[in-house]
Amino acid sequence: MKTKLFLFFIIGLSIYLIDIGLNSSDNTKEIYISDQEVLSLVSAWESQVGRKPTEDEITRIINNLIEEEILYREALLLGLDQEDRIIKRRLAQKISFLKQETSTDKPSNDDLIEYYENNKDRYYIKSAYTFTHHFFSAENSSLIRSTNGFEEILNGSISIESDPFFLGKNFINKNEDEISRNFGKLFSQNFKEDIKTNEWMGPLKSSFGHHIIKVNNTIPGYYPLITEILNQVEIDLLAEKRDSAIKDYINSVKLEYKIFVNKNLEY
Amino acid sequence: MNKFLKRLGVTLLFIVFFVYILLDVDFNNKRPVIGLFKSITHSDSALEIVDFSVDKPKSNKVRPPANPDRNPYYGDLHVHTKYSFDAYVFGVTASPDDAYEFAKGKGILHPLGYEMKLQEPLDFYSVTDHGFYMGMIQAYADTTTDISQNDFAEPFHNLNAPENLVVESAGQRSNIFSNVLGAAIAKPVPWWHPRTLKAWFTNNTQLALESFEYNIHKSAWADVARSANEHNDPGHFTTFIGYEFTTSTDTEGGNLHRNVIFNSSKAPIRPWTRIDSINPEDLWTWQDGLREKGIDTVSMPHNSNGSNGQMFEMETFKGNALNRKYAEQRMRNEPLVEITQVKGTSDTHPLLSPDDDWADFEIMDKRVGSRPPTYSKPSGGYVREAYLNGLTLDWTNQGNPYKFGLIGSSDTHTGAGSFDESNYWSKIGLLDGDGINRGSIPVSPEQEQLLIDYMNAFNQPNALIELEAGKFANTGFTQWGASGLAVAWAEENTRESIFNAFKRKETFATTGTRIAVRFFAGYDLKTIDLDSDTLVSQAYKKGVTMGSDILNKGEIAPDFLVWAQGDKNGAPLQRIQIIKGWIDMQSGTPYEKVFDVVCSDGMSVDPLTNKCPDNGARVNINDCSISQNVGATELKSVWVDPEFDPTVKSFYYVRVLENPTCRWSTWDAVKSGNTPREDLHQTIQERAWSSPIWYIPAINEFTIIPLGGTVAIGDE
Repeated sequence: MKTKLFLFFIIGLSIYLIDIGLNSSDNTKEIYISDQEVLSLVSAWESQVGRKPTEDEITRIINNLIEEEILYREALLLGLDQEDRIIKRRLAQKISFLKQETSTDKPSNDDLIEYYENNKDRYYIKSAYTFTHHFFSAENSSLIRSTNGFEEILNGSISIESDPFFLGKNFINKNEDEISRNFGKLFSQNFKEDIKTNEWMGPLKSSFGHHIIKVNNTIPGYYPLITEILNQVEIDLLAEKRDSAIKDYINSVKLEYKIFVNKNLEY
Repeated sequence: MNKFLKRLGVTLLFIVFFVYILLDVDFNNKRPVIGLFKSITHSDSALEIVDFSVDKPKSNKVRPPANPDRNPYYGDLHVHTKYSFDAYVFGVTASPDDAYEFAKGKGILHPLGYEMKLQEPLDFYSVTDHGFYMGMIQAYADTTTDISQNDFAEPFHNLNAPENLVVESAGQRSNIFSNVLGAAIAKPVPWWHPRTLKAWFTNNTQLALESFEYNIHKSAWADVARSANEHNDPGHFTTFIGYEFTTSTDTEGGNLHRNVIFNSSKAPIRPWTRIDSINPEDLWTWQDGLREKGIDTVSMPHNSNGSNGQMFEMETFKGNALNRKYAEQRMRNEPLVEITQVKGTSDTHPLLSPDDDWADFEIMDKRVGSRPPTYSKPSGGYVREAYLNGLTLDWTNQGNPYKFGLIGSSDTHTGAGSFDESNYWSKIGLLDGDGINRGSIPVSPEQEQLLIDYMNAFNQPNALIELEAGKFANTGFTQWGASGLAVAWAEENTRESIFNAFKRKETFATTGTRIAVRFFAGYDLKTIDLDSDTLVSQAYKKGVTMGSDILNKGEIAPDFLVWAQGDKNGAPLQRIQIIKGWIDMQSGTPYEKVFDVVCSDGMSVDPLTNKCPDNGARVNINDCSISQNVGATELKSVWVDPEFDPTVKSFYYVRVLENPTCRWSTWDAVKSGNTPREDLHQTIQERAWSSPIWYIPAINEFTIIPLGGTVAIGDE
């Protein structure tokens, strides 16, 4: 009984070995060029050149295909695909594309509301300010002149000598970003909701010189009702869904991996 | 009987021959008999109006009031997205929605994976995808569509699936761009096909093309229009429905591209494209037709620099003499020209303006889209020469068809305009999205091989150049740059207000910087106190502004008031110049001259040379830092032409120059630790150009009054 079992084992093993020996060499050394592949190349050729390829040209097309396949296989045998960033990136992108495609349903009202609540700050409508200013150009010692001008105003002077500002004197209902676009960031930082109104302040520095300003009115910022911005919320939610499809996929698979990164590497 | 048949046969033959002759009669390049027949039986699909407006909830957001002194609004009127046949081939997947989000300040992704974001949001934006074959390439690539099952669609399959979005696909992409596209597009269906009849009866040639699918085309266009209307936010952000009319002369590939924008949320059901006609005059006729239906449009030529002299020709498209009718129609429809964009600047060329020290600026001297890149003849391709030729045409009583204003725009094909030299991504996605491909960073040996393959596919010689700084790709992308912006002086940031500024030509162009410039002409501007707060409103009252005509007032020379403000995030201003063009009234010979009118750092113009002294501003090429405390935040002056002759037809436009800064190619090299190429300009002077003011010695019946009228003062 034991010898029979051993015999079967030996026979099985030798069949297995022969199979490996024969097939491995056979499989990697056989190249099948499908009709489809040839036809698609021929039609691409035709649409580029504007006529059907001749026999010679078809032979060349097919030979190129064969040579490419041979080089590809030899490269695989040498392991050239490993640690190649371009190949990795292509494959990674290929799978992200597949995973991304699957979600484009129209979001429900509940989804929209939930998304809006979670991303409220993105839709915040910033405070708007109405103000007037005296401008002192950086071309002409703006700090000294504006300091003096401010004092004059405090002493009750109504009209003081200042320069015309390129964008005008009065700014109505401008939010911090718009003020920054007109005067620069340094200047717009002064505009906070609790800024003093109906009182001259200054001098404040901008990208163009110094300013003495008086804020007449502030409209506080607010969160708009979702109904006011429904279209935008929907566009944003759909975009996020597409992005998150791939992220969710990565996160679900990530758990199966153990990741090692050298924390002491110096850059 | 036999005799009767014979007679019938001869009669029939005669009738057929007669009808043929009648139909084919060619009168003034038109076939009036066919035209008559067509006008009775045909509907014109390109004039069918659709309301694309979007139902938007009411917003309570406060809206800034209109400013009677007008504000400068910055924007880009030349933006391509995935719907453009070529952008899609370049790997772009950004939609019009993405493009508008980018303009409002959000970062979006470049096809190569990095973020593109503006330092400062824009005030207006228009997505202008190529009209012809709009949306089709995307449909070819999407293997789930019916049309993609055709043979001609095969090379496009999954072209922009992420696995194909890599630099290494550049060769294949260029090949598709230069060869396959042409072949796929040209083939008509057989003459007996029902689509041929439909094409004939609805005046819609593209229906007869085998590779064309009308529904896909219409839905792409509808999405472009919807997106524009969706993002339009009166008072805060303006959009225009728009597209590019991508045409060229048929023999030498002279680029005649134009962008068309609409003033309304309504637009025709499809754009008028080069498949309808490659003749821009037919585009204007279509625009006239739309205007009769209440839809106003403005078309804006671009890349005249790469037109081989065809954009501002001295004859019509068909080679006839220009006449007053031509000039009127052109000016009614084309009040603006894009003077600067990624593919170079078209102010003037060193060969055309040898005495202008600043003429050699971002010159792109190849015909647009030529394979291999082919030299483009400068004459006929630059705006300053066109202005001059316009004066001569006016002098010969042919009417001036070149009385246009100026804007800049980007022509980006990634949805996102690249305006900043220090943060540049060029414009055609995978093909020029990194420093190596666009030739600012040396290539490694592997990349060298890739580029050689790429050049073979693209049919481009001189793929590589060996320089002291290393071996570089030399693909023509080195002549491109980070430019430009369109700026409109408008009362408020709304479609109506900005569109009216375009029609008035109250616009200026910048190379991407946020310089702002005011320009007025009048007969007593000298009396305005330059330090007064009411300076601008007085100037509007007493003078005309950029884009207008100023009429003769006896022997008095007009005053020109210029005021420029620098970019708060850019380099300081160096000088303001006024460029004057005029003709000899005896012979029509044109002349030009550049006058410096205000200098920075308190310096004054040398009256002999008309130039400012060097203000000493320098750039450190090793790290791109610039001289501190040199240059001006603003410059302002009133100027009188020292050579003014009241009898001479002339024009004046402003050029504002910043101190020099690093060019994008230098930034690319510095940021990657390489040496900048010695064969490229290492620094540039960012600049702005105003629309001209034309001086009219006397109005006659040939004086052209453009679209939107001419605001003029003078003898009342």
